[in-house]
Amino acid sequence: MNATALESQLIIGAILFALGVIGFLTRRNLILIMLSAELMLHGVSVNLTAFGKYHGNPQGQVFTIFVLTIAACEAGLALSLILTLYQRRKSLDVFLWGNLSEDDLPILSGDSPRSAMQPMTDPNANFPHLTPAGRAPLSPPRKT
Amino acid sequence: MFDWLKPNDVLWLIPVAPLLACLWIVLVGQIVRRQQAHRPVILAFAVSFAAAVYLLTSVVPGGFGTAGEHGEHARASSAIMTTIYQWIHVGGLDVAVTLRADAMSALMLVMVTSVSLLVAIFASGYMKGDPGYPRFFASIALFVFSMCMLVLAGNFLLMFVFWEAVGLCSYLLIGFWFQKPSAAAAAKKAFVVNRIGDFGFLLGVFLIWTTFGTLDFEQLFGSPTLIQAAFLQDPTVLTTICLLLFVGAIGKSAQFPLHVWLPDAMEGPTPVSALIHAATMVTAGVYLVARCTPFFVYAPTAQMFVAGIGAATALIAAITALTQYDLKRVLAYSTVSQLGYMFMSLGAAGAGLDLATHAVTFAMFHMFTHAFFKAVLFLSAGSVMHSMGDVIDMRRFSGLRKVLPITHITFLAGALALAGFPLLSGFWSKDEILAVLFTASQTGEHADFYRIILGVALLTSLMTAFYTFRAYFMTFWGEERFPAEAGDHPHDAPPAMAGPLFILAAAALGVGLIAGPTHLYGHYLEQTPGLPEAHAHAPNVLMMGISTVLALVGIAAAYGLYVRSPGIAQALKRGSGPLHHLSHEGLQLDWLYLRLIVTPLRLIAQLAERFDRCIIDVIVDCVGFVPGLFGAVLRPIHNGFVQNYAVVMLLGLVLGLVSVLRAFAGQM
Repeated sequence: MNATALESQLIIGAILFALGVIGFLTRRNLILIMLSAELMLHGVSVNLTAFGKYHGNPQGQVFTIFVLTIAACEAGLALSLILTLYQRRKSLDVFLWGNLSEDDLPILSGDSPRSAMQPMTDPNANFPHLTPAGRAPLSPPRKT
Repeated sequence: MFDWLKPNDVLWLIPVAPLLACLWIVLVGQIVRRQQAHRPVILAFAVSFAAAVYLLTSVVPGGFGTAGEHGEHARASSAIMTTIYQWIHVGGLDVAVTLRADAMSALMLVMVTSVSLLVAIFASGYMKGDPGYPRFFASIALFVFSMCMLVLAGNFLLMFVFWEAVGLCSYLLIGFWFQKPSAAAAAKKAFVVNRIGDFGFLLGVFLIWTTFGTLDFEQLFGSPTLIQAAFLQDPTVLTTICLLLFVGAIGKSAQFPLHVWLPDAMEGPTPVSALIHAATMVTAGVYLVARCTPFFVYAPTAQMFVAGIGAATALIAAITALTQYDLKRVLAYSTVSQLGYMFMSLGAAGAGLDLATHAVTFAMFHMFTHAFFKAVLFLSAGSVMHSMGDVIDMRRFSGLRKVLPITHITFLAGALALAGFPLLSGFWSKDEILAVLFTASQTGEHADFYRIILGVALLTSLMTAFYTFRAYFMTFWGEERFPAEAGDHPHDAPPAMAGPLFILAAAALGVGLIAGPTHLYGHYLEQTPGLPEAHAHAPNVLMMGISTVLALVGIAAAYGLYVRSPGIAQALKRGSGPLHHLSHEGLQLDWLYLRLIVTPLRLIAQLAERFDRCIIDVIVDCVGFVPGLFGAVLRPIHNGFVQNYAVVMLLGLVLGLVSVLRAFAGQM
């Protein structure tokens, strides 16, 4: 494999990574932030595989398997953290968590995060509900 | 007498007893038995007095010489010394807390402790019921401790420490009723004016150390070799030293131009005036000059200066006392005037070396008798004030001799002694001073100068008799008039106050007779080490006659003006116009000082305060402002924006990566 092909594969990995970084820094939804972090991991995996092909041994691909495994665990942890945060503020908006600042500083986000502290109307109101299927659960559904 | 009790052992007892009394009151007596605070103090003073009397009998081996002996016995006896504590031992300066007693100190201590004891007994009656009763006695005890240590000090530095300490106690006692603004101002004035004198004293002490290398009295005055060597090396340095030390005496003993604090000091309680401003503190200056006689005999210019200042002071104070209405003010100016007398006598030694010892002796003798008769005058005035409900303006009461018989008798005794009535104590001492001045004006160099001084002394003694008896007649003769504050019937002095009055009156009458013509005092004092040889001294009959005539003329004039035909006094006052005003205001010296010195200083102080507030405070505030600027720059980093933190993390990561890669690139 020649250097040009390596270069183009590395560029693809870099583009994926950059997209992940940009998404991580600019997204407002907590889950989408996590998604962007996963995208970063994918870009790194592409990088690793390209190098493995370049050097002619399977080390790159083996390491990619590791990365995927770790990514799965990390996704589980992140989702549980996001769930906890959601339970607190009843919203997935990251701006709601922006109140650790000096009182006299101007508000930097576009629409004021302070006002975003008041929760909107019941967020579950507009979400679609699945029809119940199978057996009824043994314990009644929890009221959120 | 007591062979097992050497004088060294009791030497420290004299100052320490009042100190212990003061500490007792300060620590315990403010809380426990407040109205009994006089007991430890009176006990301590009695102990001090007993120890001082014992010292008197034992410090001079020859005891009291008889009148027949002449020159041989006036040999220097060694002084008694006790070193308590090695205080400073740095380089060339070696100062220890040494108590040194000789004949001069012993006489001075007897005077101080006896008057203090009697004044303390008087004050226990006078100050009864005052809310600050324990504080008064603690201050008095501290004062007597400081005064005794001043007299007993064995070197100049220790003396200076207690010189300042008596000034401090004077401040505490003058401003005793400190809620009264006039009393607080008077205390401040006394302290500040004293401080000016202390500055001169300190410069003199510095010069002594630079010249001689030692400050110890025993080394300086014990043998004349040190002073002689310095004189041969540089004759003018001794004159400078003497003048500087005398500046200290000017401040402490209220001489012109620093006499302005003493009349205002009458704001303090009357026992304070009697003790401090008549008998003890103001005599510290006289003691200093007398103690430094071995210096002064080498500096006739300084002695002439001393005599001149003394004469000027005596004259100014006598003129001012002629027109005062406040009884205590009259006595205050009289004190200033009599202190001028003492300095005139001390300065008369400039006429010749053979006159030195007599000059010093009679100055100290006048100080001794003055302590007693001035104290009795002040205490009688206090008794009058006590009966008249704290009114002391003579225009508001008169004719008190029937109502206050005890006070009348004692005041009369003191007044006669002060005026120099024949055969009383004041007569003997004043006459001896006039005799010394007469001898100085006849023989020796500078005879003309001393003739002027003698003239001033005679004029002042005439005025003294006049104003003293003017005060006496205005207070005790005439029709009976009481001020409204006196209540229905003024009561005479209670026993606590009457006892000391009688004792002091007896002393005022008799001390001169006992100690003067018999030369007991003179022969005792001559045995002080450091004083030159003394020759025989015959009483000067001419001066005796002149002073008697002057005293009687003054008394008669006062009687005529204030008892026979009071109208003449009013006519004189109207007729003299501005002269009367000038005399009443103390020759406008206070006004002058206010314009020339106090107001400019106050302006400078205000200017400095303005500078401090507007410039220095602003600079400090600016310096304090700068960290705020830094904070304002750095604070927006914490804006709470979560993704902001993510950006910062990313930046840190990038920087780390770049540095690692550069390190790798460098290695390869």
